[in-house]
Amino acid sequence: MKTLILGEVIDNKLSSGTLEIVSKANALGLDFRVVTVGSSDAPVIGSSTFQQTYIKRSSESLQFSNIADKLSQIIQEENISLLLAPSTYQSRDLVSFLSVDLSSSPVSNVINFEIKDDSVITTNSINGGESIYKTKIISSHSLLLIRPKSFDPIDIELNSEYQTIEVEDSSVEIFDIFKEEKSGPQLEDSKIVISAGRGMVEKENLSFVEDLANKLNAAIGGTRAIVDAGWMPYSQQVGQTGKTVKPDVYIACGISGATQHQVGMKDSKFIIAINKDEEAPIFQLADLGIVGDTLNIIPKINENI
Amino acid sequence: MNITVCAKQIPDPANEITYDNGLISRPEEQVLDDTDRYGIEIALQLKEKYDAEVTVISMGPAGTQKGLQQALQMGADKTLYVDDDSLRGANSLMTASILSELAKTTNADIVIFGTESTDGYTGTVPQQVARFLKLDCISYIKGIEISENVTLTRQTLEGSEKVVMPEKCVLSVTAGGVEPRYPNFKDIMAAKQKTVEKVELASLSMNASQNLEFLDIEKLENNKNGEKIIDEGEAYQVVIEKLKELKVI
Repeated sequence: MKTLILGEVIDNKLSSGTLEIVSKANALGLDFRVVTVGSSDAPVIGSSTFQQTYIKRSSESLQFSNIADKLSQIIQEENISLLLAPSTYQSRDLVSFLSVDLSSSPVSNVINFEIKDDSVITTNSINGGESIYKTKIISSHSLLLIRPKSFDPIDIELNSEYQTIEVEDSSVEIFDIFKEEKSGPQLEDSKIVISAGRGMVEKENLSFVEDLANKLNAAIGGTRAIVDAGWMPYSQQVGQTGKTVKPDVYIACGISGATQHQVGMKDSKFIIAINKDEEAPIFQLADLGIVGDTLNIIPKINENI
Repeated sequence: MNITVCAKQIPDPANEITYDNGLISRPEEQVLDDTDRYGIEIALQLKEKYDAEVTVISMGPAGTQKGLQQALQMGADKTLYVDDDSLRGANSLMTASILSELAKTTNADIVIFGTESTDGYTGTVPQQVARFLKLDCISYIKGIEISENVTLTRQTLEGSEKVVMPEKCVLSVTAGGVEPRYPNFKDIMAAKQKTVEKVELASLSMNASQNLEFLDIEKLENNKNGEKIIDEGEAYQVVIEKLKELKVI
């Protein structure tokens, strides 16, 4: 099945989401090429194992519909029938645009897929991983948006050999570009993640979580509720609309465990949950659950390690 | 200026979602998706600047229309909806096609969405509508500043960026960017006088078809039956011991 993987650039390299999809495409023996969209000048995204094309977008113009035009053209010319993309802001825009051009509704939040008798069968995790949902795609183009961490990334050497295409600017100019500073362990690749929820009561109490994270060299995450409340930047949100993490140890502090949050952390290897409410759904996922006040327990842990 | 907000009625998220042959079961009484409140709020802020008319459009089983009323209570001027049995299980592209056609009937300059619904979470309809309508799509808006121009802040992977809102466009709005207003008693009473109009599906053209076949849904047993301890002051020691065992410390 002729396949196009829509890649992304993070930190001047191919994103881990892209490498995860490449790994799956290899495992299935798909005939694939990669087209990567990014704004870096000369990212290291090429490989001797697949054909890479770089669509360089301007960081000062909202070009996504022009980029979709270009992608549509490649898909038609190359008779691509399967489009695989990581579920991120950029890819969601592009795949949605392409779905209109190709008259094929995409499947979102895919966690696995297989090819059976020339049809693509997708698996989705729904309701925060409470259920598994299977869909068969019946059209000449199958479009999949794949959740990060669904597959192990491929470990390959990357180079700078690829073709670069530029696209025209749109009339919508971008300005005031702001990049959040990254410090300490990052959520996606940290072995230990400590997350905070409403049970921390107020923003100032996050210092307890920060102290513990420093001691354990852990990354800090949060629920949608506290990100919406402005306690943490969006980049630290764990859950359906935020990041998916799979650390060795996940410590949930004052998190009730809405399905929205569960989907982003339930595959962590060992989950410790601390919450006042004995009935909180997070305890169903926890390997170790402590029913108690996070605001008492975390400081005591900090004092004793 | 005509502003159109796409809103969805969903089963009350406080209740457990149930499925019927792969489709979310929809009770008679559904509520306004919280995500849509942010879009409506932005529409109302724009209305104040441009003296625009705000129309809410919706597709899905209308039931008691509670969710549509909630949108009108916030301050939208009227509602158009499509409710047709043949749309049961419509995929995102079919939904986007119908909403685009509905938006055309309102002569919409600005079409506003939440980024994704709380029940379906596909998160592709705003962009699909933009493509159908051939409009610029400003997605993932997390802030709006209204002065001489309207400046929108977009959430990006690494941070944020700003654009000036074009005269005609589709916006998708994330939760948390603005504070949705709560209707008072007067607003609630006023909403009852507003127009709620059903649009017949036959009067709209459908430019998409069903390409997704439901195969199977399987409930997973999530309960790990892990160790659970009631803290009586010493539970922190159990956590520390466990962290040592896991070689975290």
